[in-house]
Amino acid sequence: MPDTDTLIQHYLEGTLTTAEAEELHELLRTQPELGERLLQHFDMDAMLRATKPLVADNIIRPTLLPKRRFTFATVTSVAAMAACITLLGTWLMNAALDLRPEAEETTASVAVLTRGVNLEWDSATITPGTPLSPGWLKLKSGIAQIEFYQGARVLIEGPAELQLLSSGEATCTRGKLSAQVPPQAKGFRINTPKGTIVDLGTEFGLDVSAANEEVHVFKGEVELHQPTATMKSLKEGQAMAIAGNTAVLTANASSFASLNEIDARSAMSQRFQFEKWLASSSKLNADAGLRLRFDFQDDEGSRSLRNHAVNGGQIEDGSIVGASWTTGRWPGKRALEFRNVSDRVRLNIPGETKALTMAVWVRVNGLDRTFNSLFMSEGWGERKVHWQITRDGKVRLGIAGSAGAHHADHDTPVFFTPERFGRWTHLAVVFDPTAKEVRHYANGELLTRSTLKDTEALKIGIAELGNWNDRRTGGVAIRHLSGAMDEFALWDRSLSDTEIAAQAR
Amino acid sequence: MNTHETQAAQVFLAHHDFVRGVALKYAPWPGLMEDIAQQVFLEFMAKESQWDLSTDARPLLATMTRHIAMRQWRERTRQQPEVVQKLADHIRLLAEEREAPPRYEEEISVLRSCLQKLPEKSRELVELYYYNDIGTPQIADQINMKADTVCRALSRVREKLRECIERSTNQGGPAHA
Repeated sequence: MPDTDTLIQHYLEGTLTTAEAEELHELLRTQPELGERLLQHFDMDAMLRATKPLVADNIIRPTLLPKRRFTFATVTSVAAMAACITLLGTWLMNAALDLRPEAEETTASVAVLTRGVNLEWDSATITPGTPLSPGWLKLKSGIAQIEFYQGARVLIEGPAELQLLSSGEATCTRGKLSAQVPPQAKGFRINTPKGTIVDLGTEFGLDVSAANEEVHVFKGEVELHQPTATMKSLKEGQAMAIAGNTAVLTANASSFASLNEIDARSAMSQRFQFEKWLASSSKLNADAGLRLRFDFQDDEGSRSLRNHAVNGGQIEDGSIVGASWTTGRWPGKRALEFRNVSDRVRLNIPGETKALTMAVWVRVNGLDRTFNSLFMSEGWGERKVHWQITRDGKVRLGIAGSAGAHHADHDTPVFFTPERFGRWTHLAVVFDPTAKEVRHYANGELLTRSTLKDTEALKIGIAELGNWNDRRTGGVAIRHLSGAMDEFALWDRSLSDTEIAAQAR
Repeated sequence: MNTHETQAAQVFLAHHDFVRGVALKYAPWPGLMEDIAQQVFLEFMAKESQWDLSTDARPLLATMTRHIAMRQWRERTRQQPEVVQKLADHIRLLAEEREAPPRYEEEISVLRSCLQKLPEKSRELVELYYYNDIGTPQIADQINMKADTVCRALSRVREKLRECIERSTNQGGPAHA
């Protein structure tokens, strides 16, 4: 029997055999998600047919039309005019757009924030692992390590203002920075209000204060360009004011943050966060509405995850299948890596729940499949839930209808873009029958809320983290997650915005 | 054509993509959308003297399109074997129960620019299949591949175009995302 793509194509082409029609119908019955996929192909197929260049036989198919007083021919002038306008509009639009030859994923980022200690931002909050596009970074306090794609590594100390211009150039208007520029990043430029420093493969520090601007060379050589003076060359151990007194001074490395320092402070900060998380665990476990909590701190080599919820007596520990242990959000924090089609954690949530909140810390490595499981009831139907990420990056809570009623999908806008892959993200979803809505959150912030038409209780039953068992024999749909999880919790009540935000801190 | 007839035709043409979107929702049967749109045009023009063209034509066109779509869908699927009829029924219900409104109008214009961005081979495939009306078995023969491979390639092209449309309509995220 042909695969699903081929069946859909045969349906679109009108060449389905009876056996194929039966098979496709059966697949649609057992995999409700396939219905949306088929409809999307159907919509796209219809649109593609409509983009066929205008030729006479495409405008009218007289054999299909009964004779009427008006035909398309009687309004040829109007249609032709409209067509011309459309074609002209399309041509102008295409000419105005910078059309790339391929629809490949692109990114505007030029650098990445690799590490940070006690970061507080005046500009939008960013966390380590975030790719950075050209624009301003306004650091209120803390130390941030930025790696430019050309290879230069820069530490900025708050308060500081840095404008990223390209993968090899930035402007600093305030604060202190130190840069380490390997040979392959030679030519890296930092502009200041009074001049430009061009690095020739070295290490240097820059101090831009309201009163003065100084450059200090720790290793190698830099060029100092000023608008009204000749270029000056500064060598290892030398320092100079960028404007005003141009006497050569002695470089003072100790007044700038070093990579060793950020290593030490970063490790300390991570340890502190880990300890804080450990300390808050017992309070969280005692929450009256908490039914399940895996902290993933089970012994390495263990093949089960202990349910730490004090009131989760009915829910047994989870059973690990395939997934391997790895490092979580901080050194010492354990996590499970889901990589293969077999990887999953199986568990059972018996009974019904009127309200539901689920939260997970997850690192998504990629969205390789049409649906990428976070937490999914086994099979489908009768108020089961499927929490997953679609291939296009939307987080979806699918809730099956009961007694043959249609299911409902509650999607976020596209959230997981390639720039978010490989970073730890807190996701939460709330099924709130009182407010009659489903709410999705990412990193503690509300992503979207959608109306809940059917508030009937949910029946999760046997379920899996990071995978799905559709209970069919043979040809089981592949929906495993490509990534890692290091915490998962489930409540039988609706958590508020504030409570979710607290979870994500 | 008198002025009112011309105006009616212009009104219809201005809503052509809207009509196509409604047709897709109520008659998800391959190749039926354009036939429905033409029939709606004919019936809309046949009664043009009755329409007040100064008001929004969408509610009227939506109702007309829904009736014609269901009628044509019934006529078309009635000719099919029983098992195909059941499949068609299932798909029609899925389309009707879909919560999202038809987005044909906004997506078709984006699709045109997405088509320009397709890699050359994908664009050639679209031209062969959609513009030159060559079936997948014939394309497979021409390029010396299996028919199923061509089906999967077409499927991937449609998915790529869907992704491109989604990207284009979701632009404007946070600066550092």
